[in-house]
This record gives sequence, C-alpha cells and structure tokens, in this order.
Amino acid sequence: MDCHQCHRCDSSPSSRSWWRRWRPAPLESQLRSSEAQIALVGMPNVGKSVLFHALTGVYVTVSNYPGTTVEVSRGLMWVGDRAITAIDTPGMYSAIPMSEEERVARDVLMSEPLAAVVHVVDAKNLGRMLPLAFQLIEAGLPVILAANMMDEAHRLGLDLRTEILAQELGIPVIPMAAALNQGIEELRSAIAQKIPAPSPVTASAV
Amino acid sequence: MNPVVYPEPIEAAIARLEAWLRDLGDRHPFPGYTLSPRSLVLLLLQKDPALWEQLQRDEEQCREVEIEIAVAQNQLHQPLELAIAQTRHQQARMLERVALQQPKSGTQPWAETLHQITVNPITGFPILVVILYLGVYKFVGEFGAGELVDRIESFFEGQINPVVDRFVAQTIPWEPIQDLIGNEYGIITLGIRYATAIVLPVVATYFLMFSLLEDSGYLPRLSLMLDRLFKWIGLSGRAVIPMVLGLGCDTMATIVTRTLETKRERLIATFLLSLAVPCAAQWGVILGLLAQKPAALIFWGGFITAIFLGVGYLTAKFLPGASGGFYMEIPPLRLPKIRNILTKTWVRVKWYFWEVLPLFIWASVFIWFGRLTGIFDLIIRAIEPLTLALGMPKESAPIFLYGFFRRDYGAAGLFDLQQQNLLTGNQLVVAAIVLTLFLPCVAQLQMIVKERGMKIAMAMVLFIFPFAFLTGFIVNFGLTQLGINF
Repeated sequence: MDCHQCHRCDSSPSSRSWWRRWRPAPLESQLRSSEAQIALVGMPNVGKSVLFHALTGVYVTVSNYPGTTVEVSRGLMWVGDRAITAIDTPGMYSAIPMSEEERVARDVLMSEPLAAVVHVVDAKNLGRMLPLAFQLIEAGLPVILAANMMDEAHRLGLDLRTEILAQELGIPVIPMAAALNQGIEELRSAIAQKIPAPSPVTASAV
Repeated sequence: MNPVVYPEPIEAAIARLEAWLRDLGDRHPFPGYTLSPRSLVLLLLQKDPALWEQLQRDEEQCREVEIEIAVAQNQLHQPLELAIAQTRHQQARMLERVALQQPKSGTQPWAETLHQITVNPITGFPILVVILYLGVYKFVGEFGAGELVDRIESFFEGQINPVVDRFVAQTIPWEPIQDLIGNEYGIITLGIRYATAIVLPVVATYFLMFSLLEDSGYLPRLSLMLDRLFKWIGLSGRAVIPMVLGLGCDTMATIVTRTLETKRERLIATFLLSLAVPCAAQWGVILGLLAQKPAALIFWGGFITAIFLGVGYLTAKFLPGASGGFYMEIPPLRLPKIRNILTKTWVRVKWYFWEVLPLFIWASVFIWFGRLTGIFDLIIRAIEPLTLALGMPKESAPIFLYGFFRRDYGAAGLFDLQQQNLLTGNQLVVAAIVLTLFLPCVAQLQMIVKERGMKIAMAMVLFIFPFAFLTGFIVNFGLTQLGINF
C-alpha cells in the first residue's frame, strides 16, 4: 500500500485515477522547479521508504514487509537552500530485473539524469547487499552508500567500519539509522557535494 | 575505478566489447542509456533481456556479441552468468570480512528461537490461531465490530438520524427530496451512517492490528510458513506476499501481484484475491455478523479456506506453465514503533474512508433515484427469486444489490438486518459466504482491468458471479438437507 497520499506517482495516468481526485496538485509544479534529481535504490526492505520520508517529508507507507513499494514516488527535498527531487524506487536485487517492479527501479537508473544514487543497504547483511553496490559503481553512477539499520547492527554486536568500506569502494559511505532519524543530515551533506554548483546558465536546464 | 575484477576470459571479452561499442559510433545499439560501457557490456554478457531485445534489431551486432560470449564461455568452467555473479559474491564476502567486525558471542538467541517458532508449522499454526483469536476475533470482531459499532450506531440512531429526519421534514416541503437526505435510505441516514458507524470502526481496528503484525515482521514469517501450502496449489512462496496483504486490502494486493515473476502466477494470484481473500472491511463486518455464533464463524472460515485451496489447485492445474522459485527476504522481528503504526493506520484509514464515503453517498443517491422511478423495485423483484433460492428472506434482496456495488456496503447492510434480528444463523452463514466470494469492490475491478486487461477481468467476473451464487445455493441446500442450524 504505497503512495496513496499526495505525491506524484510515475505510473500511467489511469492507474490511480480513482484516488487522484483526492490529491492536491501543487507538488508537480514544485518538482518541475527542482535543480537536480537523486534516487534511492536498494534491495527490498532495507528502509528506502523510511529514508525517503525523512528526506522529503512525503509519507509513503513504510512497512516491515518486503515488496510494499511497487511504484516510483517523487518528493521534494532541501539541500541547503536548493530544492532537489528525490525518487523512491521499488526494491531491486540486481541490475538484471527479475520482476516487473524491479524493472521499474532499473528504468529510473538507466534513463533519468541523476546527480546522486543513494544505495541503501542493511548494515547487518552487508555481504548480501554489496553485489548490487558493485553493479551500480560499475555503471558509472554517482553512488553514495547509506549503511542503514546501524542501530540493529550494533545490537547484534556488529561493528561496521565505514571508512574502510568507503576506501575500498571509492564512494562515500554514510552510517545511519533512518527510522531513528540518525545520519540523515550527514547523508544530506553527502548529497550536496554531488550536486553540481548552480550556474546561472545550466541551473534551469537540468 | 572497477570495484570487481572478473576472471581473465571475462575481462578480455569486456575489453573487446567495450572497444567495439566505442567504434560503432552512430550505430551504437543503446543510445538512450546513461550507463557506462563496462556496465552495458556486463549486462549483455549476463543476457539481460531488455538489452538483448534492442540488440536483436541488428543481426550483425547480435552475432558480434554472441561470438565474444562463446569465446569467453569456452575458457570458463561454469556458465558465464554464474561466473560473473560468483566473482561479485566473493568480492562482497571479502569486503564484508574486512569492513564488518563480527561479534564474538552468539547473538540474540531469543530472536532466532522466536523466528523458528513462527515459521515451523507445528508451532506456527497454533500461534496463527492465537493471533487470529486475539487480534481478529477479540479486537476487531468484538471490540471494533461489536462495541464500537454499537456505540456509534446508537449515537446515529439516537442523536443524528432523528434530528436529520425532523430537519428535512420541517424545511423541505417535497417528500422525495426529504428521502434523498434523511429517512430510511437518505444520504446522511444511510450512506454516511454506513460509512462512519459500521465500516469505519471495523476498518480502523483491523488496520491497526494489521499494521502491528506488519511492522513486527510477523507477516513474512507467516508467508514463509504458508509457502508449502502454496506450492501445493501451484503458486510460489512469493505469491503469499500479495495474498497476505489482501487480507488488508485486495485492491492494493492486486497491485502488489507485480512482484510475482511469471504471468501465470500473477493471473492465479489476482483471481484468488478477487474470489476468496476477504479484505479488511469484509473481515470486520463478517466477524461482527458471526461473532455470537463461533461455530458459524469457524464454518465460514473453513469453507472459504477450502474454496481458496480447491479453486487455487484447479486453476494452477489448468493453467499451463511453471511456477517461479521462492525467493523472499525475511526481515528481522522487531518491536514495532507505536508512532509508525499509528501513522500508518491513520493514513490507511483516511485513504479508505475517502475512498468509500463518496461511493456510499452515490449508492444512496442511486437507491433514491431507483426507488423514486420504480427501477429499484423492478431490480429487487428480479433478484428476489435468487435470494429466496439462497434461503434468504425477501428483505435481503436490496443487500445483494448493494453488494454488487461494493462488498463492504452489502456487508454493512447485512449487519443492519442482523441487528434487527431478521436473519437466522444459516442465513448469516450463506450470506457471509456469498459476499466473500462475490465480486470485489469497484476499485479492485478497475485494478484488475488495469493490471491484467479487460478480457481477463471480464472472464473473472463471469466466473465469480454465478460461482458465488451457486456456492451459496449449495451451502444452503446442504445445511438444510443435513438439518444443521447455526
């Protein structure tokens, strides 16, 4: 049960016409004025939607149940005084989609101009999540690794050394616990560094 | 920087294909993609369906890539795709060892035990029964559909309806307009009353319980436990995901069938969702109807389960094709956060309420129009033989007409009749079964049309309608013949 509130969904216009009339519209125009786009990607149930909510304030039903997000949702987030579009994607296991909703996530990666790709991983299951990180880095995408659920990892006695990971992968790694609102600001500043400086000519072209 | 270095034959193939792509210039097969050439080549080597479909437009290019794949494959001892996946996997394990310090002692043994208890059928089924009893029967059935509905209903009956009736009687001189707003079938006295007094408390309590189960991590374990049962009816464990969600809302669950891998599974799951998986509103109202008669409730539950399994088994048998493999992430069991649960319940209830309220109002208007013109009576008279065949009293005919628009509206109507003590136990059981099997609400029908196409949606409707009635008829006949009275 995702995105029944009021943000924009990327599905065909007919898909949600039965609730569309309840949805206030101004977000669309706000999104159009945003300077850049970032995407949240990762395996199912790693906390993408929680993070999306923390970054944008748009509520997407968050659940401890894999596969709850099946469509792309967009929301506006602020990095300093700059508005950028954040895209929440359905979970994906690898760059090769197995099912329809994974295809949706990949299409975002393949065809949208993205200033940053935040790969959200479950810090407890890092080994299982890294192959997707490799594929994103291989693709030449501007990846930021968000090592989420650090609180649960700590409780399990796991200690993630993010600096080693960052060095080995050559990308920024941000430890966080999105559900507890930890690490959100750090992630925001990591995103800020990926966004091209606003220049009067190109800012509107993005 | 390359995070992964693949075995030599693969790296050689990557290098050659990268150079080849670069040399193609204008004839580049994937001009729209922003991915790096290395990544594109790796996807080609892994036989990515979408990229290959594009590549196949040019036979010559296609052959070029196939040759490179064959050359690399010849030097490898395992399938190319597997070699790539394994290299990544090993690299990931290595990196994990370096970056993640494992704890010395065994961790949280209670969590592991709890997990085992919930997924093992021997302990898992009793746990399911306890959850159903406490969460669904006690909380939703007795508290939501009993206590809360009673209070809001009597508030409506005592405070709102008489006031509305008196108000319209005094201010509006024309009786038909009075009936539109007040009296027996008015927008406020029937439509809004059904929505707020019957459906709202039931749905709110149900969603609250459902959100709690969802966030605790119980649902995926339930799915895991039901996996074997699902395999038997020809669905993969993955199909459990939308089914379990369907217990909350069938419309949403129909959307979630997208997570299923094969077309066949999506079809079976959609069909079963619309036929035999009751949604929050139905659960609640049916629980409310049958709560005083536990035997009838168990009969209803057992019967619907049997239909689910039987129809599922037969559909899987007649629809050709293999079922996909089971692959599901099992998230940890968590202590749910009250705030998150309340937010989620609030969002869902709000969404649901705004979804049904206008429909209920429209239904009132239609009924008003139908009564005014006499069309309503004509249709009712046409349905009456059907309801009589089900052993139902004449008064229930309009309810089946409402149920046609929305199952929960029909269920709410039944609830109303039952509170006036117009129905016997058997009649309640038959009505509950028919309404459960009956066509989904309009929103779900729309979703089926969108996800599966008009033709399939129509086929489902044409099956479900007669099937629901026929089943009700058979159950009524059987109960009467056997002399069973609930």
